[in-house]
Amino acid sequence: MSNQAFLYHPKISEVLKNINRVMIGKDEEALLSVVALLAKGHVLLEDVPGVGKTMLVRTLAKSLDCDFKRIQFTPDLLPSDVTGVSIYNPKTLEFEFRAGPILGNIVLADEINRTSPKTQSALLEGMEETNITVDGEAVPLKSPFFVMATQNPIEYEGTYPLPEAQLDRFLLKLKMGYPTATQEMEMLARTSGSHPIHEVKAVISREELTELQKEVESVYVDSTVHRYIVDLVTGTRTHEGVYLGVSPRGSIALMKAAKAYAFVQDRDYVLPDDVKFLAEYVLSHRIILTSESKFEGAVPEQVISEVLSNITVPVQRNVSE
Amino acid sequence: MNLTSTHQRFYQIAIYISGFFLFMEWLRPLEIIGEFNNVSIFFIYAAFCFFISFIQLNWVVSVPLKLLGLIFIIDGLYIGERIFSSNWFTIIYDQILYNIQVIQGQQWWQMTPMFRSMLFLVLLWLMSYLLFYWFIVAKRMLVFVLLTIIYVTVVDTFTIYEGKWAIIRTFTLAMISLGLSHFYKEMEKEEISFKSNSASFIWLIPLAGMIIFSLFIGYSSPKLTPQWPDPVPYLTSGNPGAGPGGGAGGPVQKVGYGENDSRLGGGFVQDDTPVFQAFAQEEQYWRIESKDTYTGKGWEDTLDGEKSAVSPDDLEFETFTDQVETEESSTYLNFTAEANFNKLVYPYGARSIEQLPNNTILELHSNTGEIDTIRDGSMTQVEEYLLEYDAPSFEYNELREADSEDPEEIREQYTQLPDNLPARVGNLAEQIIEEEDNRYDQAKAVEAYFAANGFEYSTEDVEVPEENEDYVDQFLFETKMGYCDNFSTSMVVLLRSQGIPARWVKGFTGGETTGGTETIDGEDLNVYEVTSGNAHSWVEVYFPDQGWVPFEPTQGFSNNTDFYLDVESDNDSDPETEEENEESSRADEEDPANPNQQAEEEGAESEEDNSAAGGDGSSSLVPLWITSGILLLGAAVLYFTRFRWLAAYHDRKLKNNPNRKTFEQAFLFLLKLLEKRDLKRRSHETLRDFSRKVDARYQSNDMRQLTTYYERLLYRNEIDQKQMGKVTELWENLIKKALS
Repeated sequence: MSNQAFLYHPKISEVLKNINRVMIGKDEEALLSVVALLAKGHVLLEDVPGVGKTMLVRTLAKSLDCDFKRIQFTPDLLPSDVTGVSIYNPKTLEFEFRAGPILGNIVLADEINRTSPKTQSALLEGMEETNITVDGEAVPLKSPFFVMATQNPIEYEGTYPLPEAQLDRFLLKLKMGYPTATQEMEMLARTSGSHPIHEVKAVISREELTELQKEVESVYVDSTVHRYIVDLVTGTRTHEGVYLGVSPRGSIALMKAAKAYAFVQDRDYVLPDDVKFLAEYVLSHRIILTSESKFEGAVPEQVISEVLSNITVPVQRNVSE
Repeated sequence: MNLTSTHQRFYQIAIYISGFFLFMEWLRPLEIIGEFNNVSIFFIYAAFCFFISFIQLNWVVSVPLKLLGLIFIIDGLYIGERIFSSNWFTIIYDQILYNIQVIQGQQWWQMTPMFRSMLFLVLLWLMSYLLFYWFIVAKRMLVFVLLTIIYVTVVDTFTIYEGKWAIIRTFTLAMISLGLSHFYKEMEKEEISFKSNSASFIWLIPLAGMIIFSLFIGYSSPKLTPQWPDPVPYLTSGNPGAGPGGGAGGPVQKVGYGENDSRLGGGFVQDDTPVFQAFAQEEQYWRIESKDTYTGKGWEDTLDGEKSAVSPDDLEFETFTDQVETEESSTYLNFTAEANFNKLVYPYGARSIEQLPNNTILELHSNTGEIDTIRDGSMTQVEEYLLEYDAPSFEYNELREADSEDPEEIREQYTQLPDNLPARVGNLAEQIIEEEDNRYDQAKAVEAYFAANGFEYSTEDVEVPEENEDYVDQFLFETKMGYCDNFSTSMVVLLRSQGIPARWVKGFTGGETTGGTETIDGEDLNVYEVTSGNAHSWVEVYFPDQGWVPFEPTQGFSNNTDFYLDVESDNDSDPETEEENEESSRADEEDPANPNQQAEEEGAESEEDNSAAGGDGSSSLVPLWITSGILLLGAAVLYFTRFRWLAAYHDRKLKNNPNRKTFEQAFLFLLKLLEKRDLKRRSHETLRDFSRKVDARYQSNDMRQLTTYYERLLYRNEIDQKQMGKVTELWENLIKKALS
């Protein structure tokens, strides 16, 4: 990550150190996950199996003293497998609710695109609302609630790709990528004994996390930065290679993420730098390219960076040009 | 110092030196066209300033050094006192004070030579600074090269300066400096460094070859003759010359002396054919004849009957009485083949003539002063002769106190006017002189009337009066534009209408000095060349005690006659006359040349042969040039140094009043300055990204720190007053780095 020189918020710094102890060369992903967590958003990880997605989430959960739940999505998974189910208890002559994996603090939804849309929507509803509906009754979700979903980009047989409308429930979309050779060697060296994840201790309590999330909300965003965000989002709508640009929900998401990112850097106001850095992660899954540009090999990330290079960063406020 | 920078230094020095020599091309013509006698001193001072600029001393050292140089030159040239003595400072102070007043009064021609030189030295100083900036810092040679070429060609075209070698020198220097600066820029851009010295000089071989080749081609190839007519005669054809010759011709005539003046008017073209050369003490009128009768269209000599042979030893013709102070002098005249008039040309006070060819008889027309030269029974031109004369000097007070009891015959002959002269001429004359109580001041008032009322000197488009029009009336009330005949005739008519005897005189003005001197009878005389263009007409007014006194009404000309004020007679005079004397001395000052009219005629006068007017005219241009040059340069220096003084300005503001606005202005200024230093923030770049670039260039952390403070102001809308000291310090550091 390029701005290592910046100071992190002391608490967050602890969390990142923890993750760094387990994960090698995944600082940026770790940081972005924390950003999404603080912004009360969710993360979609798109990458091949075995690159450490689960390990990242587990370490994060452990550092935060949070429940960690995992759902492995399969084609035959039912919504009730996600939400939980009410079972008749002959002793009490009543139905008792058995909570599903969604009722954790940190939920890893593995290979979300391999299950049926019905089951997917059970998860997505939870992500959008703060509760789920089981047997016609609303069950409140835990707080904090953070979903990290993964999807496999190479297997297309028997998958149910998430509809675009639902993709933007995720605040960020990340790619893990393979470690470099040295990183991988380092990784081998570290995992030869007992796995370092067992030594990870919680550094933030659940209450502290809720507190931090509140603080993030009070991060200041100046109108100059608002303008920058709007320019950026408008830019995606007018870009010629884009079929559907970023929705206003995307603007809000970008601002929320930027606030969290500023907070992580121990700053109480947002810089255009924050917005610029996050744009790729926040916006690229929110645009649909035209078939022509897809055919020409364009990818959303590239479009976003093109838009970024056309937007003027505001550098003055009191003095008119 | 590593190899690369040694090379760059070499290039810099070479560029700078060729730039210096280019600049010298600007100074060179001054020796010839301007009134500069000590151009070499200016060369040396320019070289000195260039050198000081080049070694880039701190201004605390360099400014006093240059100032000292300037002071030494001024001291050596103009001030006799011991340098830095109290008298010395007094002189400097007085000079500066006086000249500032002169400048405030816009009387440029009155600036003293010392002050002009001082301004010029300051100009050189500024130039050295500006050119250093151009050549070394901005590395832009082309503009200056083009300007130099234009300058040389213009000076060559419009002055006597011969620019042939100058243009070759300029071209060579231009090629060298442009070539080198191009190499230099390439080296910088491509970050080329040479392993050895010889490698870098290989670069220069094709350049040198190219220069020599093009010089050779340029020099040996045939050159077209000018494809358009020489613009100079066209531009100077509006130049004052003199009255036209044979008046009765078409509207355009050739200038020169002629005899028939019965129909005046119409324009004429300039003709600089030399008529004669005269050795004389000073410039003076060369009189030939006067005319007495005004017809309404021109002049005629109705009293032409009385002719008498005179001896060369006593010309028997006097225009002034014995009461007038005179100074003995002699003059020698040598006529060219172009001259063909069979009369004597003589100065006022001519007494006797020598070295006339044998058998020459002189016949004097006693009224007009026309002296015919007759040989073998027919009028012939005399090629050369020597004249003894008593140059008159008229005393102001005597002229003023002269009574107006004119002899009857004088009044009769010289107050004649045609019957059909429009009455408004007389009315005007009455108005002009009504405030004056003596003849001299009345004549002066009429003489000054033309300059004060917007009459213009012109030899072109001068109207010829219609059948029923009066020549003077037309000039006074309608055209208000004409040449000497118009002015002098009008003055005579105006005076006559008020009963003052006056007559119209023809001859030549003093001519142009060739710069040479000759000795005759132990007297050192200047050599003047008089051309057809010097033909002139003026006015003589009659004073009973003094005789005929010359006046000069024509715009742009000045009276060559000597007037003086007898100061000694004032001492015992009563207060009333003292007052009068003050007035007259004031008149005296104004007399030799009417300043306002000088300023208006500056262009035309540079080739004007007419005494003081010509000299003053060209010198009055120099301060104008210098002033406008300095203003331009000042503007240029301000522009090229704008980042320096703007930096100082922002620094001051930031220190005195650290707030959001000043900080923001200062920061934005820094961005602009950095942009100038090839550190441009691209519009999509965030300040933080940009600050990293800047810090990488300047090997520091200042920009990042400063940016952090600025971000807080910009994106948090907050400013930490306690940190402003730190902010200012960071900002100053960066500005210093960017300016260095």
